[in-house]
Amino acid sequence: MSNDLDRMELNTDVEIDPQETEDIDLITAVNRTLHQEMDRDESVRLLGYDIGPLGGVYRGTEGLLEEFGKNRVIDTPLSENGIIGTAAGMAMRGERPVPEIQFMGFFYPAFGQFMYAVVKMYKRTGGALEMPMTIRIPYGGGIKALEYHQESTETYFIHTPGVRVICASTPAQTKGLLAASIRNDDPVIFLEPKSVYRGIDEPVPSAEYTLPLDEARIVREGSDVTVLTWGAMVHQAKSAATDVDADVEIVDLRSLSPLDIETILDSVSKTGRCVVFHEARRTLGLGAELSALINEYALDRLKAPIKRATGYDVHFPGHDIEDDYLPDDERARYAIEAVMSYEF
Amino acid sequence: MAQEMWTEERPPGDFYRILDPDGELETEAPEMDEEELLQLYRTFIATRVLEEKMLNMQRSGEVSLVARTLGEEATPLGGAAALQPDDWIFHTYRQTPALLYWDRPMVEVIASATGREPETIAEQLDTEDPAVNFSPDYTPIGTNVVNGVGAAMADAFNDRDTVTMVFTGDGSTSQGAFHDGMNFAGVFDVPAVIICQNNQWAISEPAHRQTGSETFAQKAAAYGLSSARVDGNDVFAVYEKAREAVERARSGGGATFIECVTYRMGAHNTSDNPNRYRDDSEQREYWEDRDPVDRYDTYLRNRGILDDDTETELRDEIDDQVADAVEQVRSISNSEPDRMFDTTLHGESWRERHQRAELHRELNGKNPFVDFTGEGFNE
Ligand SMILES: Cc1ncc(C[n+]2csc(CCOP(=O)(O)OP(=O)(O)O)c2C)c(N)n1
Repeated sequence: MSNDLDRMELNTDVEIDPQETEDIDLITAVNRTLHQEMDRDESVRLLGYDIGPLGGVYRGTEGLLEEFGKNRVIDTPLSENGIIGTAAGMAMRGERPVPEIQFMGFFYPAFGQFMYAVVKMYKRTGGALEMPMTIRIPYGGGIKALEYHQESTETYFIHTPGVRVICASTPAQTKGLLAASIRNDDPVIFLEPKSVYRGIDEPVPSAEYTLPLDEARIVREGSDVTVLTWGAMVHQAKSAATDVDADVEIVDLRSLSPLDIETILDSVSKTGRCVVFHEARRTLGLGAELSALINEYALDRLKAPIKRATGYDVHFPGHDIEDDYLPDDERARYAIEAVMSYEF
Repeated sequence: MAQEMWTEERPPGDFYRILDPDGELETEAPEMDEEELLQLYRTFIATRVLEEKMLNMQRSGEVSLVARTLGEEATPLGGAAALQPDDWIFHTYRQTPALLYWDRPMVEVIASATGREPETIAEQLDTEDPAVNFSPDYTPIGTNVVNGVGAAMADAFNDRDTVTMVFTGDGSTSQGAFHDGMNFAGVFDVPAVIICQNNQWAISEPAHRQTGSETFAQKAAAYGLSSARVDGNDVFAVYEKAREAVERARSGGGATFIECVTYRMGAHNTSDNPNRYRDDSEQREYWEDRDPVDRYDTYLRNRGILDDDTETELRDEIDDQVADAVEQVRSISNSEPDRMFDTTLHGESWRERHQRAELHRELNGKNPFVDFTGEGFNE
């Protein structure tokens, strides 16, 4: 897979030497970034089960316990609600916790603390109490795992006020976005597409850098149709784009909440056509919101209805038919072709 | 590493036991006839053979993931054996012996690990329900505790004398749902037996990372439940305490929490590598000396209930059974893709019809997205 480094806009004061890079995969980028941020700020603490001696089931925290000790890499009891609730308490007292939830499908027990404390505290204290914390969550299918290990239910978070939802799609994006999330004073849900964890290596600058938390990224410019997507689907969209008879623009949303509406509307206004391409179920998936937004603010520019190429409105299926559920480059291509074929 | 040697605060030897590590009786054996004794033995062996086979199937890609019971078989087995027909078991992925003891068909156990849709499996298998009822196995941990307690409440409200047995891990006791379940069990005096299969590890986390209390059994006191702490590798001890608890539950005496101390000999599951987080040579030796099957085997031989011939005969029988089950599983066809829509809701919505049609079109190499009127794909 090609690297995005040349197109990557770095938002940093540090001079980046593009020569000084390291070819790494996405999970290694997570690990490097956690290391970097823990080095630079003592209030950054990791919390979660299996993150210590094991280094995380995906090795995102490998080596960090040895480096920073058990009060910085906190191996907790097996309780998601406990992890998020204690992280909230720490954040209230000036720490910058970075909890890990092992799989997105195991966030549900933590929903109580998430709703009661994490997302509400800033508001209910009129801004007096900040809740800086970055909740890392591997999400998405494509690894033929058990039930609840494949969820893509970001909508639950996006629907919630008071939290940023960030999704990285490549190693270089991951480093810049994760660092920015940890340094940000809002609570952040940081989604990591686990089917990409070891899928792509690309050169990642060794220096510190951050990427903006509220800007979408144009992955590929085009004039005929805009594909709005994020996470693992960015790569499927890129492959579809090379395979259709249309000049496709791909926008990697990166920030799922809040949305970079300007970039989205600019792109769709330019191309006049839009496909939303996501792994999540369709109904009330982010595609529904994007489609409504474009309808409200760019209707007169549209040359075709917006189509949503998504997962279906079902529970994630058994792994013998997982491939039939998951959107892929073919499904993206069909949607692109459909909107290209339409005439009002 | 001193604390890692015993992952619990209190050394494991401090518990109720009947059969010593050498297979000698320390106190009286439970009242069981020869057939019942052999049934326990048969289940031990069947579990080992079946799980070994499933491990091979995992290596060859036929099943995605296997979590074994190796070395902890006596806990689910002793617990399950204490139940009566029509009772219920709420279980997770680590209670194979409980399933096999009550003749839950092996073919179902294997098939559910192959990742096929449950509808496909159910349709293509002609199996009978076991005498004891089983909940579906639970992936999200802790959930089954509070569900099992609710099931027991339903029995109590209906004056049924059914007992519900719930299995949970040591790690799972950290979940809110565990505490919710224990609390409801105490408040409503439910006919339930909650068994903590304390194998001392929750993936990489040792038991002392899950609780600040000295034992898990102590948790019962806070919720007003009876409790016991037993040698989880001694099938007689587990059986005896479970039997008492089941009797108490059935006679209106309320719920019991039993901590069974055992040890996870292998990996958490086939995607785990314990060498990364535990040096278990000492522990392993200690527990190998207390292997539940060896102990029980010795006991049966000493009593003259088992000899080499019986064992060979029984192993042959089990090998055949497992081979049969595997063959049956292999004959189950893959799921039809649109099975994913089945049993989501009763009735069929516009969306479901539409998305089924989209999927069919995609599978037939046609564009699924050309419906611009909402009228579907009438052509
Ligand atoms: C709510 C929830 N969180 C996390 C997981 C992932 N997970 C599966 S098993 C497991 C460890 C469970 O340990 P324990 O309860 O001790 O049972 P054991 O596996 O040792 O039998 C974890 C963390 C899960 N299945 N459910």
